[in-house]
Amino acid sequence: MERPLLLKYLSLRMGTLLSLGLLLTACSKEPGGNAADFDQSYPPSSGGTLIDATAGEPSGLIPMIAGEAAASAVASNIFNSLLKYDKNLELQGELAQSWSVSPDQKTITFKLKPGLKWADGKPLTSADVLFTWKLVTDDNTRTPYGSDYKLVIRAETPDVATFRVSYANPYAPALDSWAGLQILPEHLLKGQDINTTSFRFKPVGSHYYKLEEWKPGERISLVRNPNSTQGPPRIDRLVSRFIPDPAAQFLELLADNIDSMTLNPIQYSRIVPSREDLQKKLALYKELGNNYTYLGFNLKHKPFDDIRVRQAINYAIDKQELIDGVLLGLGEPVSSPYKPGTRWTNPDLSPYPYDPNKAIALMKEAGYTGRDKEGYLLRNGKRLSFDILTNQNKQREMSAVLVQRRLKEIGIDANIRVMEWASFIGRFIKTGDFDVVLLGWGLSLDPDQYSIWHSSQQAPGQFNFIGYNNPRVDKLLEQGRLELNPDKRMKIYHEFASILLADSPIVYLYAGYGLPAIHKRVKGIDNPAPPAGIGYNSYDWYIPPPLRRNEISQ
Amino acid sequence: MPNKWRQALRNPLALSGFIIIFGILLLAILAPFIAPYDANAIDVKAILLPPSLQHPMGTDGLGRDVFSRMLFGARISLLVGIVAVGIATSIGIFLGAISGYYRGWVDVVIMRLVDVMLSIPTFFLILAVIAFLTPSIWNIMIVIGLTSWMGVTRLVRAEFLSLRGREFVMASETLGARDFRMIFIHMLPNSLTPIMVSFVLGVASAVLVESGLSFLGLGVQAPQASWGNILTDGKEYIQFAWWLSLFPGVAILLTVLGYNLLGEGLRDVLDPRANNTR
Repeated sequence: MERPLLLKYLSLRMGTLLSLGLLLTACSKEPGGNAADFDQSYPPSSGGTLIDATAGEPSGLIPMIAGEAAASAVASNIFNSLLKYDKNLELQGELAQSWSVSPDQKTITFKLKPGLKWADGKPLTSADVLFTWKLVTDDNTRTPYGSDYKLVIRAETPDVATFRVSYANPYAPALDSWAGLQILPEHLLKGQDINTTSFRFKPVGSHYYKLEEWKPGERISLVRNPNSTQGPPRIDRLVSRFIPDPAAQFLELLADNIDSMTLNPIQYSRIVPSREDLQKKLALYKELGNNYTYLGFNLKHKPFDDIRVRQAINYAIDKQELIDGVLLGLGEPVSSPYKPGTRWTNPDLSPYPYDPNKAIALMKEAGYTGRDKEGYLLRNGKRLSFDILTNQNKQREMSAVLVQRRLKEIGIDANIRVMEWASFIGRFIKTGDFDVVLLGWGLSLDPDQYSIWHSSQQAPGQFNFIGYNNPRVDKLLEQGRLELNPDKRMKIYHEFASILLADSPIVYLYAGYGLPAIHKRVKGIDNPAPPAGIGYNSYDWYIPPPLRRNEISQ
Repeated sequence: MPNKWRQALRNPLALSGFIIIFGILLLAILAPFIAPYDANAIDVKAILLPPSLQHPMGTDGLGRDVFSRMLFGARISLLVGIVAVGIATSIGIFLGAISGYYRGWVDVVIMRLVDVMLSIPTFFLILAVIAFLTPSIWNIMIVIGLTSWMGVTRLVRAEFLSLRGREFVMASETLGARDFRMIFIHMLPNSLTPIMVSFVLGVASAVLVESGLSFLGLGVQAPQASWGNILTDGKEYIQFAWWLSLFPGVAILLTVLGYNLLGEGLRDVLDPRANNTR
């Protein structure tokens, strides 16, 4: 009995010693050691590796097919579009040197920059653009993004540097759509099935970086593309590690194993400021949020077809409390479905104030005159009782708890149901089998929201799943698509936003800020963040040689 | 029996387990009187405060008092544990009794069913079932109950098989007692000891399963507190807000430990063989 125990003890000791030794060497290898001052400024230089984390592994790197955020985050460093947005969210040429719109506003002509090349050295021409357009509009291509491009009635390539598209009617979101279509190489994809091609695992693009290695389940690394159409980036290598759990991501950030991630409000305003070592090495940024969170009613279900009930619920919810409680103040109230502070947001609108008395009065008007023993409002002897459905997202769950409490205060009985995303979409959203959802919408840069609010977009799987139907709004959404004059277009969407607010088919809760944290070794980042966010000039970021981490050996 | 109880309380294992469980039960029952705050009262001005005199266990991400939530969470954990194991034990007694009493093909069928159920990892079975149901405290009790009766079934069957050969059973059979009487009046009371022990041990594992489910978001739903979901809330902030992970973790540990000690102690005391040697 004695000997094995002793052996076990010894080997344990050895183990600890060994790991301690490893730790010590690991510490001494820390870049710059304790002496490194990350706040010091350095001249721009090339080289180095930037490591970030993504929650999911892409299913492939052809963005129009993959359709998920993880894929487009990586692919946006590999592929180019004709146009892009600059730091102030104005359109700029990317592959296109210039573009012009015909006087009747139905034809757009793009002129490509001269001498464009793919990463494999083959020339990139207007034929590739035409090929990509054909792919995205092909009915055999399984993509959710085809609808914008299907409006093109004729696409042609008069010469290798010119690409021309014509629409049956003027289509205002057209330019925006060409900033969203990443051009694919015809010479590598011709004759292949785009849905299954192995190109998705070994893409060849034209942007700053090209794929170096993809280790399934672990990481994707990109290296500088020598043939980049946009000139060379400063940082040599981008590595994206797949870390699904945000808490684990944060630990990796603290351990210096990744350079950047998006923080949650608690990490941003409580944890990092409370620790001096973190303040020394992490720079925090604040970007305009690119999505908003809302409480949406199923307008086909009673009593949510009654505008008074919807408005009452809107008045009963304290939005500032949500911003303070869920976002720790790091967000803004919303009253138009657009990025706060951009041109499309109607500056004359403000959210429904928190006013429980008005809420109760509106509920009375809607017929909820009685109260039961527990204080719930009654109409014809029945409570207003429903489930708030949301997915497993900490902020949404917390918001639901706050909303539930406020509704209970005026006498509405709401229960919270939290679900995993896929079953949430499949079982409730696509079937329309829900009363109230707590979800978010991404805020795109073009104001067209036809797919979300137009009454024709209510089929299963389409985005108007709450069943919103307002003829005036339909009309405005149709007009907005035809109007290319930015000022007139702005008026249309301002009116649209004010009708939407009055109708209250959803309760806007808040738009949280984007809160990226990036290691201070990365220099050249704009602070404060411009409207486009900090990432717009990532090719200009650099990591000074003294601050670089040791290259990870394979 | 009273004699045995006294004996049980003299057993240090059982006594310490009993004290822990009794203490937690008491706290759970008296929760509304002890809790300094409403367990669901939100205070956005007091988010993630460390433990202090006002908040003995600190506050969570919505400024709710963790101590109050722990007390109400205790009710959920204990209720789920006891009801779920109650269901499991009832099923187990029923199936085990008919299996051990009738033997033959009834026994074969039931025992193969037990084998099939045991071959599926219980927690994953529960996860799969819960995914199809609305997660709620009642569904969880039922699902845990319906997936953890196999051990009791085997125990009861074994007891019955050995009881069948005993003189008093044969005597009443000779006197023409009916099956019902045989099972419930004569045999079952004589196999209560292992059932009690397995009940107590079963509660411990049911508490763990409930915490696990709540931790994964499939258990008790917000805003209702349970130890498991307080623990989940704390997971993200474990380096910063240690109190959100420590207190529910310790509570789960103590409860499971308490039930296990009580179960082990009871077994020592109630086992007739152990008793005879004294």
